[in-house]
Amino acid sequence: MMLAQELPRLLNGTPGTPLTLGQHEATFATSFKVASLLDELEASGLTGRGGAAFPTARKARLLRDQRGHNKVVVVNAMEGEPVSYKDSTLLGTNPHLVLDGAAILASIIGAKDVIVCVSRDNPTAVGNVQRALDERARAGARGPEFKLETAPWRYVAGEESALVHWLNDNESLPQYRPQRPSILKIRHHAVLLDNVETCAHVGLIGRFGAAWFRTLGTGVSTGSMLVTVTGAIERPKVLEVVAGMTLRTVLDYANAYPNPQALLLGGYGGSWLDGAHLDAPYDNESLTQWGATVGAGIIVALGRDGCGVVETQRVVQWMANESARQCGPCAFGLPALSDDLADVVAGTRNAAQAIDRLEHRCGVIDGRGACRHPDGVVRLVRSALRVFAADFQGHASGTPCQASRSGKFFVAVPRLERESELVWE
Amino acid sequence: MISLTTPYLWYTTRATGFVALILFTLVVTLGTLVANRVGGTVVGRFEVNELHRSVSLVAVIFLVFHITTTVIDSYVPTGWISILVPMTSAYRRVGVAVGAVAFDLILAVWISSLLKVRVKNETWRFIHWFSWLAFASAILHAYLTGTDAKSGAGLAVVAACATCVAAAALWRYVKRPTRAAGRTALSPLAASKGPGPGAPRPVSSKASSSFSRGETGVVTPPNTRAKPESFPRSPSPRSKKRR
Amino acid sequence: MGVRRRAGSFYLRVNPILCDGFGHCHELAPELVNMDEWGYPVIKREPTPLSDLATLASARFAVRGCPRQALRIERVSES
Repeated sequence: MMLAQELPRLLNGTPGTPLTLGQHEATFATSFKVASLLDELEASGLTGRGGAAFPTARKARLLRDQRGHNKVVVVNAMEGEPVSYKDSTLLGTNPHLVLDGAAILASIIGAKDVIVCVSRDNPTAVGNVQRALDERARAGARGPEFKLETAPWRYVAGEESALVHWLNDNESLPQYRPQRPSILKIRHHAVLLDNVETCAHVGLIGRFGAAWFRTLGTGVSTGSMLVTVTGAIERPKVLEVVAGMTLRTVLDYANAYPNPQALLLGGYGGSWLDGAHLDAPYDNESLTQWGATVGAGIIVALGRDGCGVVETQRVVQWMANESARQCGPCAFGLPALSDDLADVVAGTRNAAQAIDRLEHRCGVIDGRGACRHPDGVVRLVRSALRVFAADFQGHASGTPCQASRSGKFFVAVPRLERESELVWE
Repeated sequence: MISLTTPYLWYTTRATGFVALILFTLVVTLGTLVANRVGGTVVGRFEVNELHRSVSLVAVIFLVFHITTTVIDSYVPTGWISILVPMTSAYRRVGVAVGAVAFDLILAVWISSLLKVRVKNETWRFIHWFSWLAFASAILHAYLTGTDAKSGAGLAVVAACATCVAAAALWRYVKRPTRAAGRTALSPLAASKGPGPGAPRPVSSKASSSFSRGETGVVTPPNTRAKPESFPRSPSPRSKKRR
Repeated sequence: MGVRRRAGSFYLRVNPILCDGFGHCHELAPELVNMDEWGYPVIKREPTPLSDLATLASARFAVRGCPRQALRIERVSES
């Protein structure tokens, strides 16, 4: 029984044991009938959960108004951010909710095909989706034709134009899209691409309606959202929270260690927030004053015995390696930022100049790539320069930092792959 | 069929042939200068590019003269078809065939360049690489068909042109600019380029945290990002377009 | 009759994927394009009025001269 104003909604089940089709129908049974799906979607105020928070109904309406018979819905479960587990957790709990939502979106825009894209490096999620699709096929569910595609995992592979380009040409390379709004196309067919969690919310709205959806959340950020909390925490958690809860509440629910030094919000392309602002509400409107966003629902807590400079350097080095290397400012600029940060961390002779160079280079690199990858790194570095200003100065003058004393890293960064190991297709 | 022959047509053919060869040598050399980003201080890079474009126009005009005078001249029974289709000439079949190949390639390169605004960049670049083959065919054609090219000054000129372009090709390869990666190169023969001085460096000892338990002091979930062993390492044929 | 006044302005836009850092645009339109330390163009973000004919001509040369055809002139018409 899905009560209004109650959590959990999306995670109504056991993470790790996905609900079968029968269990799903039982759990999310309702007698409420939704009249017009697009209007309900619009009334719900649902925004995308992939990071950009674009109004879902507006995107669906734009796609619906495109001419042409064959449209495609793409469900983006790539989860490019390494410190995010919400999408795979959702697929491991309620895959049928996601497929419901995708079917609803398909019916809104008039699409006959739905492609679910999961990272091939995540065999659990692939298995969950495949099982769910098989169950639906066996039950003979009407609706669009589902297809599962597994793309190689890269940070930028989850970017919407990169994913669609992979579906077209087998290479996860972000594309240059000067026209806004720009419609993604697979061959000549218009594509509606939405994050997995967004689709799940659409599935809920399709069953319970917009009014039910709005019982949780603030006036602007409606509904619930999934958050991955890692870092200074005993066990990383994926939680379902509501916009408007303070960061402190979220961290308490996650059982994170109290009083983190700072929080990394939004992922590797997000920004740092000083630990003094933990009473800020966790939603986009409140976080903008500190230059942060909810992003893809990612919180990494930096413990008191960690060092923000070192963490930033590790992240930027990995992000530089994940560049698609299509655009000069990103391909050359991000490694330059990484080198400057390494200089600062090591406290070499030109560390002070490195800090100035960082400021200058951030200004040069920002906004000059085809996608937002370099912008994200610039945002991270700028926020680090702001929040960890004292630590930067300490490193430059050679003082050993807390992390070097404790030997602890809080932001999990994947292994740096050699260029020949980076697979884009 | 007009039976038209005068020694002057024959002289014009041979002369314009040589001039066209010399001009194309210049064009290819200028092309390598553009590609290797020569200029910027005394001579502007755009000037080298403009010179390359202008000289190619002149070269093509001389080439057209060369071809027309050959075909009109009934002294050499080549026929109109043999301009474009190899091995259809009655006179020096192989030599003219090689010339036809050269002309076909030059035509492709030239027309794609005229329509450069309309053609996709990767297509244009793919076709443009064939200009090397076009030049090689032109040299071969000069040697095989050229009445003068088999000895003396004629041979010297052909040899000089061939040497010049061979040197340019070598220099082109050795001094090629370090791009971010071969991602935008579309040569049929381009090899995968390793990271250049400005490109991201591979594994460093500074940041060697992996998604595993214990190393970082922070407990992390099992590695869901592990690459399956069946991952193909060598690029699929499709990816040749970005190597 | 009278001269049609050019209203509106334009941007010079680069496709950063096609751009390979040749640098011809900086030579041809220095008032619009600067180079960063890696040889790639930093283009002025503010629009240029169409009445600025010299700059428009430079921009056109830059568009024509780019070896990768990575530049475009985008008109912004004033309402």
